[in-house]
Amino acid sequence: MSQVIQDKVIDEKLEWSRINADVIASMQSPRRAYWVALAVCIAMLFCAVAAEIYQYKYGMGSAGLNNPHMWDMYIATFVFWIGMSHAGTLLSAILHIIHAQWRKPIYRFAEAMTTFSLMTAGIFPMIHLGRVWNLYWVLPYVSDRGIWPNFRSPLVWDAFAISTYLSSSALFLFIGMIPDMAILRDHTTGWRKKFYGILCLGWRGDDRQWRNFRRTYMLLACFLIPLAISVHSIVSSDFAMSIMPGWHITTFPPYFVAGALYSGCAAIMTLFVALRYFFRMEEYMTLNIMEKTCKLTFAIAMVWTYLNLIEFAATWYGHNIYDKELLIDKATGPYAAVFWTMIFCGMVVPFTLCFQKLRRHMPSMLVVSILLNLGMYVERWMIVAPTLAMSHQPHQWDVLWGTVIQWAIVFGSFGWFGLLFLIFVKLFPCVSMYEVKELCFHLKHEIEEEEHEKQHAAKAKAGATAGGGASPAGNPGLEGA
Amino acid sequence: MSVKVNRRKFLKMLGWGGAGTALAGCDMPTTVTLEEGKEEVVSYLMPEEYVIPGIGVWYASTCTQCEAGCGLHGRVREGRVLKLEGSPDSPINHGNTCMMGQSGVQSHYNPDRITAPMMRKGGNLQAISWEDAMAELSKRVGPSSGVDGKRVGMVTGTISGHQSVLVSELLGQLGSKNHYVHEQINTSVWRTVCRDMLGDETPKLNFDKARVVLSFGADFMGVWGSPVHNMGEYAKFRKGAERGTLVQIEPKMTMTGANADLWLPANPGTEGALALGIANFIIDRGWNLVDVPARIRGTLKQYDLVTVEKVTGIEAEKIKRIASLLSERSPSLVLAGASVENQENGYDSVAAIMLLNLIMGNVGNTIGATAKFAEASMQAKQGGTKDLLLLAKALSDKKLDVLLTYNTNPVFTAPDVLQVQAGLANVGFKVAFSMFPDETTLSADLVLPIHSGMEDWGTHVAAYQPEGAVMGFQQPLMEPIHKDTRGFGDIMLSLLKLRGSDFAKFDDYYSYIQTSLLNMPSSIVTSTGSKEETWNGILQNGIVKTKGTTTPLVPKLVDVRYKPAANNSEYPMHLVPSARLGMWDGRHANIPWIQEAPDQIAKVVWGSWAELHPKKAAELGVKNGDYVRVTSASGSVETQVYVHKGIHPDAIAVPVGQGHEEYGRYAKGRGVNPLKILNPIMEKRTGELATYATRVKVTSVHKTGRLVKMGGSEVQVGRKFVRTISSSVFQRTEKEV
Amino acid sequence: MSLKNILENFSYYRRDAEAGGHHEYEHRFAMAIDLDICTGCNACSTACYAENNLPVVGKERFEAGQAMHWLRVERYWDEIEGDYPEQGAKMIPMMCQQCGAATCEPVCPVAATYHTPDGLNAQVYNRCIGSRYCSNNCPFRVRYFNFWSYYEDSWPEPLRMQLNPDLSVRDKGVMEKCTFCIQRIRNAKDKSQREERPLVDGDIITACAQACPTDAIVFGDTMDPESRVSKAWAKHQIHRGPVTAKKQKADEEIRGYRVFDELNVDPSVMYLERVRDTEV
Repeated sequence: MSQVIQDKVIDEKLEWSRINADVIASMQSPRRAYWVALAVCIAMLFCAVAAEIYQYKYGMGSAGLNNPHMWDMYIATFVFWIGMSHAGTLLSAILHIIHAQWRKPIYRFAEAMTTFSLMTAGIFPMIHLGRVWNLYWVLPYVSDRGIWPNFRSPLVWDAFAISTYLSSSALFLFIGMIPDMAILRDHTTGWRKKFYGILCLGWRGDDRQWRNFRRTYMLLACFLIPLAISVHSIVSSDFAMSIMPGWHITTFPPYFVAGALYSGCAAIMTLFVALRYFFRMEEYMTLNIMEKTCKLTFAIAMVWTYLNLIEFAATWYGHNIYDKELLIDKATGPYAAVFWTMIFCGMVVPFTLCFQKLRRHMPSMLVVSILLNLGMYVERWMIVAPTLAMSHQPHQWDVLWGTVIQWAIVFGSFGWFGLLFLIFVKLFPCVSMYEVKELCFHLKHEIEEEEHEKQHAAKAKAGATAGGGASPAGNPGLEGA
Repeated sequence: MSVKVNRRKFLKMLGWGGAGTALAGCDMPTTVTLEEGKEEVVSYLMPEEYVIPGIGVWYASTCTQCEAGCGLHGRVREGRVLKLEGSPDSPINHGNTCMMGQSGVQSHYNPDRITAPMMRKGGNLQAISWEDAMAELSKRVGPSSGVDGKRVGMVTGTISGHQSVLVSELLGQLGSKNHYVHEQINTSVWRTVCRDMLGDETPKLNFDKARVVLSFGADFMGVWGSPVHNMGEYAKFRKGAERGTLVQIEPKMTMTGANADLWLPANPGTEGALALGIANFIIDRGWNLVDVPARIRGTLKQYDLVTVEKVTGIEAEKIKRIASLLSERSPSLVLAGASVENQENGYDSVAAIMLLNLIMGNVGNTIGATAKFAEASMQAKQGGTKDLLLLAKALSDKKLDVLLTYNTNPVFTAPDVLQVQAGLANVGFKVAFSMFPDETTLSADLVLPIHSGMEDWGTHVAAYQPEGAVMGFQQPLMEPIHKDTRGFGDIMLSLLKLRGSDFAKFDDYYSYIQTSLLNMPSSIVTSTGSKEETWNGILQNGIVKTKGTTTPLVPKLVDVRYKPAANNSEYPMHLVPSARLGMWDGRHANIPWIQEAPDQIAKVVWGSWAELHPKKAAELGVKNGDYVRVTSASGSVETQVYVHKGIHPDAIAVPVGQGHEEYGRYAKGRGVNPLKILNPIMEKRTGELATYATRVKVTSVHKTGRLVKMGGSEVQVGRKFVRTISSSVFQRTEKEV
Repeated sequence: MSLKNILENFSYYRRDAEAGGHHEYEHRFAMAIDLDICTGCNACSTACYAENNLPVVGKERFEAGQAMHWLRVERYWDEIEGDYPEQGAKMIPMMCQQCGAATCEPVCPVAATYHTPDGLNAQVYNRCIGSRYCSNNCPFRVRYFNFWSYYEDSWPEPLRMQLNPDLSVRDKGVMEKCTFCIQRIRNAKDKSQREERPLVDGDIITACAQACPTDAIVFGDTMDPESRVSKAWAKHQIHRGPVTAKKQKADEEIRGYRVFDELNVDPSVMYLERVRDTEV
């Protein structure tokens, strides 16, 4: 293994066959750590399933919910997972259309994270419903009784938004993987060959396919960006459309989107460190990329902090006494510890990202990213719970810390997410092979051009001119084909 | 089976009863009748004769949940009674009900009712047949039993009407004079003072005429007298041309206190001194409307403001204000309730308080005479705790061989030191007539399950008859739920028949009541129309209006001999065994609605608590939910604390009603019973148990838990839920428009 | 509600609450509760349990905040410096306020809570999927959710014989709340229809109003100007709809008010301020 790349996005001299070999190797022969992680995830999931069966049988009361706390951790967790899903879209779609090349080695797992966190988030409204067997009433299906859902309800918007977002991001993930599927088809044997053969949809890598592929990918990316923003805006309207103090806030949509990107970036950092370590991907997930991710996270953290402070200020200087009271209660009341955890993790911890030494120290970054995510989780909790605990009606004030059932389900959702992700990394390449090649190619090209220009200048100096060498033609994805 | 009300007869009666009150919609055909005697599953397409599916029919009856005797209308649908409402015809409750009346149906349908007679065999109560039970009764108290009548006793709650006649008759037949009438919640001392100073035990209280009500611990809207009636009167008092002002002085805020314009806690047991101080001030200023003899005037002199302030802990300024209020806004009404009556000096305190009524000329004005039911044997025999003490004494002295218990639970309400439970072992044969497996019932040797108030016939003459002498008529609202229960009256009749008597001619209690009511002398009722019409009228109204006898009040000043109770340094606190509307004396602890209905003040549900003033709580280092031990010379209880300012700092209130050792699934093992730790102190003049006189010490046990109560915040936090305006504004905006 | 219907009646459907919304009211049932004579005795609440098949939840569930009292009597203490609450305690019966511009209605995803032509916020148990958004959005916090299958242990035999067959017993996962005794309204309407006469004041009385020992609760139809409740509302200068400048009371000290009127939810329950004699 070559020395660790310090100052470049990637070592452009990586051979394309090595890229293939490294990524395919990461998908094969799981080591013991993988099985342990898988077992842990399944155990966590089992806790949640057992808790959910109990709750389904006996009712929502087993989650400890009560009159003021009609919603609690389930909705907070739902918002958390929806938020996390925004990172993949950010990396793959937003950075794609602004041509940020460094995204390429890491966007695949981020996108997978998007899909899986959406799949996790989508479960929570079902867990949360009192009569989940009637869930489909939220959908506008044609009923002979002429009954429609209530289109004024943000929950109906949620149903539309999440299902659209889930299907789009799954499609986006899949389409982005097609060229890689073809590589895998060509480099594997047995069932995998058949499996990837089907998934690559007859990809041959000719010009027309590449042209269509690029166009489709760009189109989907453009489609996904407003969708992602709208999804979290709609989730925020679950709160903002209500009349409750601490929820009825006009800055909620951008605040939620910023928070979503924030937690997503933090999650990417966590997974980055984990994958880099376990799959020995130091050459692909370079410290340079980590630095860039950290800087992006820091920028988003500051946006989020700003919006948060704006919200506090608006509440403080506003005339809504209920809002103001709630803010004071949050900071000094029974939830104070949680509130200050959120402030610390969300607003203070990101400043560690200003230090290059820390940014390049993976164990620190693991801790920091987990702290950031903890901050974002409790942020969601601090949105849901205190409003319900200390709303307009003081007679119904009550503080809720949940029951074992509720915590088990919340905890188990991480198992479910982890399980999906662990299966993913062994079935699909968590690093996009063709795009890493693209990246190397571009870098090489840039360097060559630079050198060429240098030579040119030197020659010009020497008074001699010569024609530049042609760049290697062809598409990087075709390598090995 | 002595109950001869078969279904057809039952329908006939009900049909008549409901004829006048049935809802419209009787256009539904009821063509199919059911063959009698067959028990089958029959669809509602083939209804029973009196059942109109989907149509509720209202029948009039009388509430048996407490002694007030409110009139009821019960909604009956498909043969089941579903809902009780107040009878608008009743002069007692005027169509309203309280929570106890509302939950009458849960007494009736209670899952813990006794469904079969039980006899103690080898230490355990075992179900037996009615034949065996009656045979046993006959063996023990029948003519051949050789029982000594003088050693037979009966304990009941307040009892009136025909059942009272039957009880007296039975005891008379046996030659017994031991009828103990025990009511934990009573106004005995007040009644005695009224008798001595006014010449009438239960004078009519005209709240609507009073401009000021000064109440010394009388929770007249809760557990004092006739609460539903009083609440209706209270509304009139507040809504009159001028809004009346209520001043409440009591050691622990009751529901009435919560509605007061001025609520003050005097040092417990010193309310008499306060009344005398007020009287003294009034007379000093010459505000009294009735002259006071020099003899009393002399006694009053020593109650100057400084002394009274020192004794009672009420500022002199407040005493002056109350005195001037009584004078400026005459007529007033001054009342005394449990926290004054049930002190060692209860009688003297109440007399001192009654003095205020006398000198302010309230007698004959806000306090009037009531009509009494003409037939004395049917008037209410009101109970108190004196009989409990007598019973305890009789038990420990082994003076009883047979004890019959009905509608009271002395084993639960008696303090531990009276050793009622142990004393019962001295009684050879104890018979309990009871609906529920309460403590007393389960100590009996023979348990006879009786009908509920909604299955049985009965008549009730309320002790407090505010508007003419009426008799509440109770009729079955449905067929008995359990096949093996019997009416109390029926059992009494069969007992009477054992020795043969005038009552032998009656088939059952129903025919006895009917005959009796239809043959009431014209000195009692003016009968109009035929007997059938009269009877239908009674069934329809649930009320028998009678010509009562009214004796005018004779105010009589008695000597004031008030003496405050001595202090006790070992037990510095006053125990307030407070009672509330709903739970009453604990008899409703087996009703889930009552258990789940929060206490009106503390808002605690399903258990016991102890109320403490914040000052005292800080002293003890306890907060809401912490456990404290309340220790008297006679025992101790441990319960959670609820801290609020509506209590005297030297008092601790533990509510009565919980702490049942038996009494069904909803009551058993829940909370603590403060009555158990009362000291055996007697009120000096009346011999009642001075339940508020026990001194206790309170210690923290350093254990905490969550107090199960309704409501998160104790204050409105600046919200406008309950806004308050001053009565001067109210007078301007609403009265003078 | 077809698309055509929406397009044709667009301006009608978007009328705001002040203009009456898009409701063609037949009745607007309302209450007037006099807090001066409300004693806080709890008879109304118990009557509600009896009338509306409310389950008794028991100590543990009450502790968990899962009680089902549609009508609760709230008790507040004065925020005082002194030693004793000399003006007593503050009691207020709090039940669903049947808001004219109810915040619970627009947020229900399946329209299980909707506005009836009688001016009630009806809760359709069968349609409810239990998202509990309505309760979250209720400033009064008077919606109660069936967190458990209460019916299984609230009415052991023969207690269930008491259940009112005029309305259902709710299973877990369903929201419920005060209905202004809608079954009594239905019965009274049927009766007046059978008798071929209009509904008059006094035909309908809710269980709480009927039980109230001081008659503090007055129930009626505010669209009937002769009803007791209409007169009470008029006397205390409380008007339907959101609070606007022209609907201000002439004298701020007139007793009528609606709780959370500043939220413009147009509650149908008018409370009359508690009065205390401050001169004593």
